[in-house]
Amino acid sequence: MRIDYRIDHPIALHAAFDVEGFTVLLGASGEGKSLLLRAIAGLTPARGEPFGGMAAQHRAVGYLPQGYALFPHLNAWQNVAFALHGAQRRAQAMQLLERVHMAESAERYPSALSGGQQQRVALARALARRPQLLLLDEPTSALDPVTREDVIAELIGEVHEFGIPALAVSHDPHVAAVADRLVLMHRRGIIQIGSPSEVYANPINGAAARLLGHRNVHRGYIDGSRQLLWQGRAIVLPVAEGSVDKDVDWTIDPEAIRLVDTHETLPNVIQASVEVRHVIGRTTQLGLRCGQERLWVSVPRDRPIPESVAVHLPAEAIRWWVREA
Amino acid sequence: MKANAQPSALLPALISVVTLLLLVAPFIGLLFATSWRGFAFADGDGSAIAVSLCYSLLALLLIIALGTPLAWWLARHRVRGGWLIDALLLLALLTPPLALGLLLASVYGPYAPAGNLLERAGLVLTNSGPAFVMAQFYSALPYYVIAARAAFEGVPRELEQIALTLGHSPWRSFMHVSLPLARLGLAAAVALAWVRALGEFGAVLIVAYYPQGIPVKLWVNLQNTGLSAVYPLLWIFFLVAMPLPLVLGLAARRRRLI
Repeated sequence: MRIDYRIDHPIALHAAFDVEGFTVLLGASGEGKSLLLRAIAGLTPARGEPFGGMAAQHRAVGYLPQGYALFPHLNAWQNVAFALHGAQRRAQAMQLLERVHMAESAERYPSALSGGQQQRVALARALARRPQLLLLDEPTSALDPVTREDVIAELIGEVHEFGIPALAVSHDPHVAAVADRLVLMHRRGIIQIGSPSEVYANPINGAAARLLGHRNVHRGYIDGSRQLLWQGRAIVLPVAEGSVDKDVDWTIDPEAIRLVDTHETLPNVIQASVEVRHVIGRTTQLGLRCGQERLWVSVPRDRPIPESVAVHLPAEAIRWWVREA
Repeated sequence: MKANAQPSALLPALISVVTLLLLVAPFIGLLFATSWRGFAFADGDGSAIAVSLCYSLLALLLIIALGTPLAWWLARHRVRGGWLIDALLLLALLTPPLALGLLLASVYGPYAPAGNLLERAGLVLTNSGPAFVMAQFYSALPYYVIAARAAFEGVPRELEQIALTLGHSPWRSFMHVSLPLARLGLAAAVALAWVRALGEFGAVLIVAYYPQGIPVKLWVNLQNTGLSAVYPLLWIFFLVAMPLPLVLGLAARRRRLI
């Protein structure tokens, strides 16, 4: 489904892209992503297609706001039945609750449900309206970090099962990674569209890399002698002609960075000090202080860490993008 | 820990007892002052009760019908110069009842332009049933609107909007989401308006000396007979005025409405 919306107030925003399967619009907070969903749902003035000019109650959308907004005075099945009419509404609501595996909680009130359970009831309620498009605002924000991955996996399974295109807006790279289609938003415009594997493999610029959760994205400068200058240090890069004397964003995979002893004499070595250490499974994530900035380095858990540490940034692992003025 | 905790709990309890004693003192006085052996009603007490109950109920219905949409609108819309509306509501609250009566007479009285016009249309707003209802309406409306506005402000706007996205019209969204979620505050607002309307004396005295409701009749009894004619009617006033706010208040506190 093609989305093309233009909003003038309270912020100016234009977004045009296709929604296929579970599509995630990834953008930082304050980009107006929630506003875009509200505009599509008809809750804020905007121009665009689909549903342009229709009143909110006539738009066939299933809208799940942040926190899900279940009616606190109604129990789970009554919430789902809210959009249903006729004598069969309770039975229909129960069927929908069964499809999201919540039938056993039908008599419970929203305050007695967990974040994930509330989300499933809200999904059933939105589906009861027979929407052509599902809109999900930050679907992971109200979830417990421990169960988040499972809840998202179930949500996506359900969206696929119901076969309704869904647009989720989020700033969470975990949600983006599981999308069928990924749309990146920066400075109130769409900057990149593609499948997650395409987009993750080739972020279009530094801002895109940051959105995708790359941890080491820094500003630098590439000078006339093909060196990346970062905090007054020079890293020699194999830079093509024509791209010199430019401000750049550059990034490096935490796994590509090599820890070395300060006494080793290698090119592209930068002095560092260990600031923080996370042990995650078989790897250790080290937050290294380099001057004013921090570099994240991922090393195997059993690798000894030198006392006076320095990092070697292999030139071939560095990616960079010219910053636009 | 316990020794430390007790004095802090004791002081509020003591103050509460004192406050309650102060509150109950006049009614204990009434209990002793009432001459139970010679307990008798004055002429016209019965009709005063009927007048008070019927017209207060009518005024209450009018207040709910006109005040609820206004309260909802005020809770949901921020307009430029909204402080003027706040000031207007405060003005209506602040006006002393007697002065309110005088103002009403100066607008709706027989010699005032609006009163004259309405009288020609058959609506007499001096010393009539409609005048009685009007005085109660004016004195209780601002209390209702302010309390009901606060009740609607407590309903998350997002829930009303979700109802729209689920295919409900704004009217159905109001009936099925806003009203049930604001019911506790609205119950309090209704109780407050009822108490205010039923007890109104000053404004009613000026524009509707007749028909006589209980508050004016209490005063008339005092003038004509003395205290012995006041207390019996006062007991009846409490008896008829109490059930509605009491039931609404209890239901609200139980977090559900009958």
